[in-house]
Amino acid sequence: MDTAKYSIWSFLPRYLFLQFRKAANAFFLFITILQQISDISPTGRYTTALPLMIILIVSGIKEIIEDYQRHKADRLINTKKTTVLRQKVWQVVMWKEVKVGDVVKASNGQFLPADMLLVSSSEPQSMCYVATANLDGETNLKIRQALPETARMLNRKQLLSLSGKIECEQPNRHFSTFAGNLCLTGKSPVPIGPNQILLRGTQLKNTQWIFGVVVYTGFETKFMQNSVKSPLKKSTVEKVTNMQILLLFLVLLVISFLSCVGAIFWNDFYQKEMWYIKKKDFTYNNFGFDLLMFIILYHNLIPISLLVTLEIVKYIQGLFINWDEDMHFKGNNLYAVARTSNLNEELGQVKYLFSDKTGTLTCNIMTFKKCTIAGIIYGESSSCVTDQCEFNDPTLLRNFKNGHPTEKYIKEFLTLLCVCHTVIPEKHGNEIIYQASSPDEAALVKGAKKLGFVFTARTPYSVTIRAMKEYFTFEILNVLEFSSDRKRMSVIVRTPTGQLRLYCKGADSVIYERLSDESLFMDETLSHLECFATEGLRTLCVAYTDLTEKDYKEWLQKYKRASAVLEDRSKIIEQCYDTIEKEFLLLGATAIEDRLQARVPETIETLLKANIRIWVLTGDKQETVINTAYSCKLIASCMPRIKLNAHSFEATEEAINQNCEDLGDLLGQENDLVLIIDGETLKYAFRFEIKKNFLNLALSCRAVLCCRLSPLQKAEIVHLVKSHVKAITLAVGDGANDVGMIQTAHVGVGITGNEGLQATNNSDYAIAQFSYLEKLLLVHGSWNYIRVTKCILYCFYKNVVLYIIQLWFAFVNGFSGQILFDSWCISLYNVIFTSLPPFTLGVFEQCCTQRSLLKYPQLYAISQEEKIFNTKVFWIEFMNALVHSFILFWLPKQMVEHDMVSKGGYTTDYLFLGNFIYTYVVVTVCLKAGLETLSWTKFTHLAIWGSIIIWMAFFAIYSYFWPTIPVSPDMRGQVNMAMVSPHFWLGFLLVPTACLIQNILWRTVKNTYKRTLLEEIRELESMKVQRQDYLRRDFEKRVKAVQPKVSQTYELAFRNEAVEQTIPHGYAFSQTEQAVVTQEEIVRSYDTTSYRSRSTSPEGLSSGSLKEMDRKKYSTIISSFCDKGDRKDQGRRGVTEELQSPSELQPQTCLVVHGAASDACPSSVSFQCDVGSAVALHESGSLRKRVEGLVPAFLRGELSYIYTFLGTYRASATPQQVLDLLFHRYGCVLPCSDEGGGPQDQLKEAMTFILGTWLKDHPEDFHQPQDLLPLKVLTAYAQMNMSGSDLERRAHLLLVQLEPPESVKIEPEAHGPAPPPGPAVGPPPEGEPGLTPASPSAAPAPEGELASALDPPGASPPEPALEAEPASVPPPASAWAVVSSTPNLPTSPERPPL
Amino acid sequence: MIWSATSRGVHQPDNTAFTQQRLPAWQPLLSASIVLPLFFCVGLAFIGLGLGLYYSSNGIKELEYDYTGNPGTGNCSVCAAAGQGRAPPPSCSCTWYFSLPELFQGPVFLYYELSNFYQNNRRYSVSRDDEQLSGLQSALRHPTNECAPYQRTATGLPIAPCGAIANSLFNDSFSLWHQRRPGGPYVEVPLDRTSIAWWTDYHVKFRNPPLVNGSLALAFQGTAPPPNWHRPVYQLSPDPNNTGFINQDFVVWMRTAALPTFRKLYARIRQGNYSAGLPRGSYFVNITYNYPVSSFGGHKLIIFSSISWMGGKNPFLGIAYLVVGSVCILMGFVMLVVYIRYQDQNEEDEEE
Repeated sequence: MDTAKYSIWSFLPRYLFLQFRKAANAFFLFITILQQISDISPTGRYTTALPLMIILIVSGIKEIIEDYQRHKADRLINTKKTTVLRQKVWQVVMWKEVKVGDVVKASNGQFLPADMLLVSSSEPQSMCYVATANLDGETNLKIRQALPETARMLNRKQLLSLSGKIECEQPNRHFSTFAGNLCLTGKSPVPIGPNQILLRGTQLKNTQWIFGVVVYTGFETKFMQNSVKSPLKKSTVEKVTNMQILLLFLVLLVISFLSCVGAIFWNDFYQKEMWYIKKKDFTYNNFGFDLLMFIILYHNLIPISLLVTLEIVKYIQGLFINWDEDMHFKGNNLYAVARTSNLNEELGQVKYLFSDKTGTLTCNIMTFKKCTIAGIIYGESSSCVTDQCEFNDPTLLRNFKNGHPTEKYIKEFLTLLCVCHTVIPEKHGNEIIYQASSPDEAALVKGAKKLGFVFTARTPYSVTIRAMKEYFTFEILNVLEFSSDRKRMSVIVRTPTGQLRLYCKGADSVIYERLSDESLFMDETLSHLECFATEGLRTLCVAYTDLTEKDYKEWLQKYKRASAVLEDRSKIIEQCYDTIEKEFLLLGATAIEDRLQARVPETIETLLKANIRIWVLTGDKQETVINTAYSCKLIASCMPRIKLNAHSFEATEEAINQNCEDLGDLLGQENDLVLIIDGETLKYAFRFEIKKNFLNLALSCRAVLCCRLSPLQKAEIVHLVKSHVKAITLAVGDGANDVGMIQTAHVGVGITGNEGLQATNNSDYAIAQFSYLEKLLLVHGSWNYIRVTKCILYCFYKNVVLYIIQLWFAFVNGFSGQILFDSWCISLYNVIFTSLPPFTLGVFEQCCTQRSLLKYPQLYAISQEEKIFNTKVFWIEFMNALVHSFILFWLPKQMVEHDMVSKGGYTTDYLFLGNFIYTYVVVTVCLKAGLETLSWTKFTHLAIWGSIIIWMAFFAIYSYFWPTIPVSPDMRGQVNMAMVSPHFWLGFLLVPTACLIQNILWRTVKNTYKRTLLEEIRELESMKVQRQDYLRRDFEKRVKAVQPKVSQTYELAFRNEAVEQTIPHGYAFSQTEQAVVTQEEIVRSYDTTSYRSRSTSPEGLSSGSLKEMDRKKYSTIISSFCDKGDRKDQGRRGVTEELQSPSELQPQTCLVVHGAASDACPSSVSFQCDVGSAVALHESGSLRKRVEGLVPAFLRGELSYIYTFLGTYRASATPQQVLDLLFHRYGCVLPCSDEGGGPQDQLKEAMTFILGTWLKDHPEDFHQPQDLLPLKVLTAYAQMNMSGSDLERRAHLLLVQLEPPESVKIEPEAHGPAPPPGPAVGPPPEGEPGLTPASPSAAPAPEGELASALDPPGASPPEPALEAEPASVPPPASAWAVVSSTPNLPTSPERPPL
Repeated sequence: MIWSATSRGVHQPDNTAFTQQRLPAWQPLLSASIVLPLFFCVGLAFIGLGLGLYYSSNGIKELEYDYTGNPGTGNCSVCAAAGQGRAPPPSCSCTWYFSLPELFQGPVFLYYELSNFYQNNRRYSVSRDDEQLSGLQSALRHPTNECAPYQRTATGLPIAPCGAIANSLFNDSFSLWHQRRPGGPYVEVPLDRTSIAWWTDYHVKFRNPPLVNGSLALAFQGTAPPPNWHRPVYQLSPDPNNTGFINQDFVVWMRTAALPTFRKLYARIRQGNYSAGLPRGSYFVNITYNYPVSSFGGHKLIIFSSISWMGGKNPFLGIAYLVVGSVCILMGFVMLVVYIRYQDQNEEDEEE
């Protein structure tokens, strides 16, 4: 991939082509060519060619530097490495070598090198997560899922066997669409959608590895298709300048034409008699010839050096932006970058600022800041000043621990935060990282963790939390999903005590209408919500309700029916949800801070003061946007808001017209109003009929918030304003969804955040923080505007001054085209003698200090309002130059009128006068630059005085050239004559004074009489310290007077309900809706308790899909089991029955499970894990059914059932009981089977899996009772039936580890079948005492596995964990039960055995 | 696509006053309090200087006579009439009589002035070959094309010096005669015609071609004089240091004037009794009238002028200084008015 403009060979032709495509350069080339015609040029042959060459070389060097950087960047990307399957092995290749059709392997965290089709992944259901922030700016991870047809291609061999073809559409730039077919050889084509496509530039997340087949590479990728070269933007100043150049060209033509006419008249009048002028073959009225000659004579009116001067000046201005330490984000060492320098001055003229929200105004970091629980507000600590401040209120914990009356509410509240969400915990060593597609949820879970309620593990049907060092497992029965209509999400859980409970969190509006009459603290909470909202925090109300088994059962039936509906399913499901979400009891509310970037409110305040209007355009929700607008002080709480949410064109039209009408006279002025509109309404508002009205309405508002916008709509809004309002727009954003508006706006600013570079790469300026806009606009913008405009005006001025003199001279030389100056002096005028002042003006000029610019944002108006540079100003300057040139010609001409100006009485010649004038021109023009300069640095002095000195020196040296260097014979001796002439020095004093005196007068009068803010400030700056205070007071008064008067407290009779005046409570939720995989599916597909290797090798089994892996692993174990017990037939029959009718069995089982639990766990009972209480349960028989359902569940593939059971059964039974039941049912009936594949094999597989999972996930179950009976039984069973298996090994190890040395003997006949001493490979069960204390080196690997599976993250110190006793815990709230008092196993081998 | 667009690190800028744009700077503010005194000072200084210059210029004496010979303006009209329509005009001479009542303070310079003569016309002023004039052999034989049509004669001989400027060399000559006392004999006043050209022109820029066998004539052999000339270039003067290309009249003529009315130095009067200037008495100038100007409506003048430290008489500079100085002071007053009014306004504001 090559994004560079030139190669070594193409440089010259292409560069020249590009240069001469510019009108000005072409013009000068044309002049150069004309000058080659003999006799036509009054100024010699190469006098234009030389400066043109210099200019081309200078800008050529600049091009080379820029292109070199492009080459470097390309090389960097092209040489990135990736892994590709080639020649049947994995090879590491460079990105540029990746070809279409390659099978690419990518692992977690890698950027993908090409667009590819997902073949398979390490995750369940062949899912994988990708961060698309680089492309679309969205922060939530996207889920992609492989087709079932390819999902099983898990290793190299399988991949090699993969053959077929992929049909796909032409490369295009739409991220969210893809249409294609996968035609595997020998199979019918399967459609591929965007859900199977992984795009280049995205990053693989939370996924061990993926395989993909490359579909598009290089420029064909959607990434590159999108990063087409941003449109060439021209600044307004540049456009005006080009216009003036064109006009100046017309002036040039007119002057030339007039001169020709003059020549004709002169020739007619004199020529016959001018005997001394006679030229061969000369036709006197050769009009065309004359015209060309005069064009050459005057062509320098168009400043040849302007373009290159501007280019260099702007380049340096860009460097200043790049160098600015104030815009240096120390966090990741990012400097601001001016990616184009031709818009520098545009930064000073911005009137409308369109800002993205997420990642631009906000950091996209959600922090749990405050909460209110049971009517008490927490987290009010005002001491918190740093950005990193999270919820930290010791009162909460104190209240909780010290038995405050609201203690149980606090507990319930925090539990809810831990349970009701879709977050996936990921263990990284001892740390738990919460992965959530919704950052708000992650913030809440994190906040709860900080308060001691740690969400530790998620299995498909349960979540485990550690509350105050105790573990609780909640069975997740249902997830009532979030949607923006519902504005809430709920989970129905079975609490550890077996209680059915619905936890809900959501927007206050939806929660409050569902609160039961018994609910408390409603008023307090509401006032707290109010309080949060004013601070711009995003709130969520949390509530719960207890369900009865009966109600739940009924609802479940309804839900099942709803889920089976084909049409409008989601709507019906939502209705179904609604029926159970009622009678809530309010717990409180959370307040999440959508953390603003540093200094955003201050920046916005400053920008508003600078009379920049800020529109927020975002894809986010309305509530969020309003919230953010409040928190960043874009809108004040008293400002009325106009909301436009309509669903049809008619409604939109009516609303807009109504509002326009209400505004009446205020329409078109800036009012303290906020307009809020959503994407759908905007679609209608863009229709031609009401577009104008809408725009008027929007322009009448102080702030406009547009939400739920597509990237295209963002661009459309910008375009609308850009095309209808004569003002400069600036768009700032950070994501790929902002690219449209960034490219559309006059100036596009990209925020280089964590999000990727799409916006940056399409922007004109890249900054790291929103707050840097302040400096970028107010300081760099203002300065650059002033600099560039002054530079342009000055360049025109100096050219007009010098070259119009030729016109005046034409009046006295018979319009013959004679030049007054030496031709080389003319051509070096722009290149040397007056080249420096424009640079100092363009680079060092400052209207006032940065501090003042930032302190008084009103100064921005100077540049914003185009008062310094417009057509009028330009032509005033032109007239001024004309006057100057006239004075500069006429005064010296009169001075030397009789050619008797020297003491020696010698007479002079034309060049003598020319040199006088030329010197005066240089002096005048340099002093004029000084007059324009408001800030004289040492470089300014150098340029102004230096230029004059350079000319003088050149003049002196040049006069000695002839005849040694054969140029300019007439120059010979001029310097001696001129310098000794008193006239020269007298004129030196007089002429520039005469020219500039009127400029000085004009300026002074303006400074005195029509004083602007700028002059005031400049005066203030230059004042001595003692007078400053007095002046400042006086001055502040004036500043206020200058400020645009905004009607602060007008009353407006709005007759429609769209206008709101209260503060809205934004609710904090940002879930992806309508994703490939629903929220419930995500919840159901993760089991974070199971072992996940962090090794990155996708080939290894260990990192493979868990369930896939386990199933496979167990299926490979074939061990003999020969027990010809009596119950064999019965067992077989049972299995067969269940296998034959899974569909019938399943719902029953399901229902029974719930029923059993409810029966078993009366809410008031708190269970201790002892055998005694289990007896009662045993009798109910329901446990038996649940246990017996395990094997069929495995056979049906419903592994989740097993996980859930294992995770939750403790509420109703002990491990011993379960084991008993299990072995009783299946353990001893396994027939010895030699033939594989039969039901017996399947049964064994099932048993292996169940026991293995149990042992692995919940080894703590086997730590009790003291005699380790269940473990011993299990070990024996494993040795007998599955000797050599992983299960056996694991069980044995655990046993060895836990067993006290004196009780090593296994009592195999305790329960279950008596196992014969198996031909075990592993160590014998009767381990010698020496073996018992586990040495660290004994089995590091499995130990590690165990540890990682068991180790509660956050790693509380082991001692207290062991001490944890039920008695020490205060009596739990109603629904609480302590299930296991020893969740913390010895986690390290070093631990001495009990 | 520039991935590392923003993380530079490698060439991190030095945190200098230059890169951070905090260079110390002088910020002049043109306020009335500064500009008012400036205007008055400059104005007064200029007026003073202007007065000095004006009187200095007025102290210079000038005596000029238009000898173009328009009918009824003296005896040169005869010559003018005789030359009318004849080319080349016949040789004719006329006289200008004048008398000086008092000493004409020296040094006195004799100029001739031509008006309406466009030496600055491009087609005229380019018609020369500076290489030829600097004595280059090759250019002598091969004059530049710019000289056309005075590049070569009809017979193909190169013209030396070539070009229209040389061809139109001013060829009137003057001699000054002085009558010490009325009725006394007229004595010719010696005219120093040697150093009338710029030193660099005479010594550097204009060079004769290398002599051939010690003879300038041989050096110019094979060239032709310009068509209007009656004698070849090496016979311009009998003085070997003043003939050929370094003939001072020629050199002076070759410095083409800036304006259509110009003066050229003809001679200085500084020898013998006339070193202090021209004494009292009657004079006449004998003019050899050759140069035709009437065809293009030009005038020929003969001028005696004394020269001060600032050159010849030209009151313009003094007047210009006076005017600019006055304007300065006028503007100063305007400024003062504005300033006072502004102050009043300011006070009113503060009272509010």
